[in-house]
Amino acid sequence: MSVSKSVSHDGVPISIFGAIRKKYFATPTDIVVSSILAVLVLWLLANVIDWAFVKAVFGAGRRDDCLAAEGACWSVIASRWRIVLFGLYPFEEQWRSGVACLIMVIVAALSCVPYFWNGKRLLGLWLSGFAVFYVLMRGGFLGLTPVFEQNWGGLALTLFIFAAVCILGMPMAIVFALLRRSELPWISRTMGLIIDTIRSLPLLTIMFTFAIVSPFVLPDWAVGDKLYRVIVGYAIFFACYQAEIIRGGIQGLPAGQEEAAKALGMGYWHRIGYIVLPQAFRNALPPTINQIVITFKETSLVTIIGFFDVMASGRAASGTAEWSFAHVEVYCFVALIFFVFVFSLSRYGAYLERRLGVGRR
Amino acid sequence: MTEHAILIRNMNKYYGSFHALKNIDLEVKRGERIVICGPSGSGKSTLIRCINRLEEHQSGDIEVMGTMLDENVDHIDEIRREAGMVFQNFNLFPHMTILENCILAPMLVRKIDRVEAEKTAMEYLARVKIPEQASKYPGELSGGQQQRVAIARALCMKPELMLFDEPTSALDPEMISEVLDVMVGLAEDGMTMVCVTHEMGFARQVADRVVFMADGQVIEQAEPETFFENPQNERTKTFLSQVLGH
Ligand SMILES: Nc1ncnc2c1ncn2[C@@H]1O[C@H](COP(=O)(O)OP(=O)(O)O)[C@@H](O)[C@H]1O
Ligand SMILES: [Mg+2]
Repeated sequence: MSVSKSVSHDGVPISIFGAIRKKYFATPTDIVVSSILAVLVLWLLANVIDWAFVKAVFGAGRRDDCLAAEGACWSVIASRWRIVLFGLYPFEEQWRSGVACLIMVIVAALSCVPYFWNGKRLLGLWLSGFAVFYVLMRGGFLGLTPVFEQNWGGLALTLFIFAAVCILGMPMAIVFALLRRSELPWISRTMGLIIDTIRSLPLLTIMFTFAIVSPFVLPDWAVGDKLYRVIVGYAIFFACYQAEIIRGGIQGLPAGQEEAAKALGMGYWHRIGYIVLPQAFRNALPPTINQIVITFKETSLVTIIGFFDVMASGRAASGTAEWSFAHVEVYCFVALIFFVFVFSLSRYGAYLERRLGVGRR
Repeated sequence: MTEHAILIRNMNKYYGSFHALKNIDLEVKRGERIVICGPSGSGKSTLIRCINRLEEHQSGDIEVMGTMLDENVDHIDEIRREAGMVFQNFNLFPHMTILENCILAPMLVRKIDRVEAEKTAMEYLARVKIPEQASKYPGELSGGQQQRVAIARALCMKPELMLFDEPTSALDPEMISEVLDVMVGLAEDGMTMVCVTHEMGFARQVADRVVFMADGQVIEQAEPETFFENPQNERTKTFLSQVLGH
């Protein structure tokens, strides 16, 4: 924190207390406001610690202790965490679901390594990670018992939907953005109309349309599992937003960039792949990370279509008569899971921005 | 092999209803060095950008290195490979190092392998006197250095012809000569060059012919000697007194 690094005007480091006094207790008004806020914060913190730790009940299967205790009942998590993470996935096979989640996290972590920072490697990494994830979850070969999609659930399902939407949606977004800026007016107008229409619809409507309505419209062979229909719908929704983000990034480029590439004899796809998109993504990095974070959070909407994502599984974990009193604790746990993912994503985004800024200066 | 590097016959260019180039006729022989000058807005950039199809002309013929510039995409690609271009604003690719800037097009367009492309690139970077900057990014270089890289990048494609559009206009005065020196060296090696520039010293020193444009027309063209000492057209005289007079 900057407080400990503060220096006084003559450059001599001053103590933490000195810095605090200067920053928060300089004038009488400061003193009053700071004191009141400090007391409030300490009081809140004390209550939370008291509830979450001091008076809390830890360890599996201690329902009766929980009912007697005033604090949090973490016992519910210890007893029911498997439902939150894996949903209705068969108990003996849940290790597969766990490994699959781990692989997704590893893939995400690997994408942070600069070695993977080009389109081909990134796509290769995500596709192979996704394939391993799918094989582990679905089974049916390599001696793994098949587990059908309707039994997937919990964190594993959330990660699956999220990864599938990103992998499918990102290339679509690029295509949409390129069509949107096509030199042929009827192509760019049509694409613009499609993008604007889909963006003006709520995500939930799109999910419903794809999950429930589309089977009546589509030919049988194209219907597929409800899960995949939702993913396709969500991916199109994602692509429409992301396409506009990419288009913004492209518009931020000086016209001279594409002209220089043309003058060097580079064809359309070379210009797009080597000059336009890499720079557009750099320009559009903050909104892109933002879009990905939102996409992760909004996967929880699939509960409404009847999927058992981490949110719905959480509700199921405290849904039995045995544990229904402990739903707050379960929601805290689910919130913590979301927080860990979203917070690391946004921290990583901030790091990327700093790092990519270097080449531009 | 044709004798002409560029052959423009009765060419017209419109921006919407605005007639930007009017009945342009221009010949550039192989190995010839042309300087184009004229007041701002007279169509110099437009003309030079029509030569490699950064702008499309509406009528007349443009032939570059014996290839007719028409709707055929192969012809356009062919011409762009043979004509290097240097812009006023350098237009280096900011997300790539200097070396990557220089090897990208040779590898993608000429299909040269990386080792060979890097070797060529280092030769040209040495020629523009900045081999030591190869691993830096454009943003870390001065304007004059960036423009020299831009010249090296164009040369790495081994073009038959070089087009310059006011290559020193965006530079601080103290950096102009380092870029002009490179261009003079290029001229001495026999490169065919078409340069839009207001550097009249450069024109006197290397140009075989100076072309004066105004209002989208070629008003007058002559050898530098004649052009500077004995201009025929009234507008040329006015222009020269402005750029030389100060
Ligand atoms: N993209 C364009 N759209 C419309 N008009 C243009 C465009 N580019 C140039 N012009 C017009 O064409 C004329 C010639 O421009 P230009 O070739 O850039 O002149 P120069 O390079 O001699 O200063 C100018 O009047 C300019 O306003
Ligand atoms: Mg110009």
